[in-house]
Amino acid sequence: MLSFFGSTEFLTVLSALNTGFIKTLQLFFVTLVGAVPLGLVISFGSMSRVPPLRWLTKTVVWIVRGTPLVLQIIALYYVPGLKGFPIWSGGESGRFTAVAVAFVINYACYFSEIYRGGIQGVPAGQQEAGLVLGMTKRQIFFKVTLLQMIKRIVPPMSNEIITLVKDTSLARVVALQEVIWMGESFMKGNQGYAGLVWPLFFTAVYYLAFSGVVTILLGNLEKKLEYFR
Amino acid sequence: MMKRKKFWALLLALAMVLSLAACGGNGGNSSGSGDSGSPAAAPEDPKTDGEGSSQADAESDLAYIQGKGTLVVGMTDFAPMDYRDASGNWIGFDADMASAFAESLGVQVEFQEITWDYKVMELNAKSIDCVWNGMTLNDEVKAAMDTGNAYCLNAQVLVVPADKAADFESLTSLEGLNVAVESGSAGEDAAEALGASTTAVAKQADALMEVSAGTADAAVIDLLMAGAMIGEGTNYANLTYTVNLNTAQGLESEEYGVGFRKGSDLADAWNSFWAAAVADGSVLETGTAYGVQESLILE
Repeated sequence: MLSFFGSTEFLTVLSALNTGFIKTLQLFFVTLVGAVPLGLVISFGSMSRVPPLRWLTKTVVWIVRGTPLVLQIIALYYVPGLKGFPIWSGGESGRFTAVAVAFVINYACYFSEIYRGGIQGVPAGQQEAGLVLGMTKRQIFFKVTLLQMIKRIVPPMSNEIITLVKDTSLARVVALQEVIWMGESFMKGNQGYAGLVWPLFFTAVYYLAFSGVVTILLGNLEKKLEYFR
Repeated sequence: MMKRKKFWALLLALAMVLSLAACGGNGGNSSGSGDSGSPAAAPEDPKTDGEGSSQADAESDLAYIQGKGTLVVGMTDFAPMDYRDASGNWIGFDADMASAFAESLGVQVEFQEITWDYKVMELNAKSIDCVWNGMTLNDEVKAAMDTGNAYCLNAQVLVVPADKAADFESLTSLEGLNVAVESGSAGEDAAEALGASTTAVAKQADALMEVSAGTADAAVIDLLMAGAMIGEGTNYANLTYTVNLNTAQGLESEEYGVGFRKGSDLADAWNSFWAAAVADGSVLETGTAYGVQESLILE
């Protein structure tokens, strides 16, 4: 059994899975970097005092949260080209960009609702106190609300972020070669190996290890924010 | 106060109309209510079943490809037609011939793996320029693409566990059998025509796994693929293929072809390229290298 881990079959599969997992990680980090701030903007939109803006934002959030992400990826990648405006450059990089945009929009909408819950969960009395002290709305948000909101949203955000680790596998619908695509490729035939089923199941190791790391990091963050109690 | 409410109500109504119009335009089956919202989308609608681009009408597809300098070949990993060698380069009968075709056009070849179910969408969205991957020329393919002349013969075969092969040999009907097939493949049609209850899976390789795992009694896949993927010396040594479903149905063999966008002049360019390659023997030579020489159409 041990000799298997040194065999060329194992090493070939491992290097292919690693290539795929780097794609998975890229998608994961690009989505986080894009969706975390965009979610805040969307949450401001859905709390806006201007009704049309609020309705528009809520409609967008409803559509994005109410349709499958896999459908959004397919639509975003193919529809511009089918309409005669191929905006995504061909090849893997174009696919990656399109998928990343779909993920950022989708996750920003979920994040926005978590942010809204966090912001509205801060007692109104604190805002009133800020106003009495002569602080501006901006000052109240950044100096009073924001940090308390961050503390409140860490547990639900952890949930979404761990879901995101696994949701990246949806990207293979438009043939983005992430880790599951790579695992599946050995069933059909890749680099001289065909009919191998174990690489597909072996991808679980990557997901488990990575979500373990993410869980620990987010747990540490939660501990650091304890002093707000 | 009343006035203000009315204003917002109107604005909301307008926003709804606009968003509906946008949805209709993107979905490709607009009912015509979109013209007020997005005048740019309206003239496009009648053409969605064609190439969906007004540029392709004005300028030839061949010129488009030579202009950008690459021929993007849409394919899947499908030995012996397209597969990766140990160093990760695409080889195979189709891959080698596609490289030669691109060279004859004076452009670079670029291989792009696609999800097979979306091949027509990929082609029309211009994310690939041709589908060249042991594609069986069935009615759906012919309706959605312009294809070059058939270049290779194929048949659908029944894959069964080797130790049960004897039970299947003289089979004329698949009734009562649970057969795994690739979704949307020629094998699915053949299995259904012979009365099998089918389980549609995403890839032919998945169908093999179903038989191997015992979750299906048999699988129907392409003869060329069966020859390369199962039997002794492969990872599916416990499987074998028996019945040729085309013979069992009294049908002619299937043919493989290369698919291009509807109305593309590349199909003609391909036909003349292929005729020349058959004449100078390079088709036979490449085919022999990958063990498909018996199936080639050399006319």
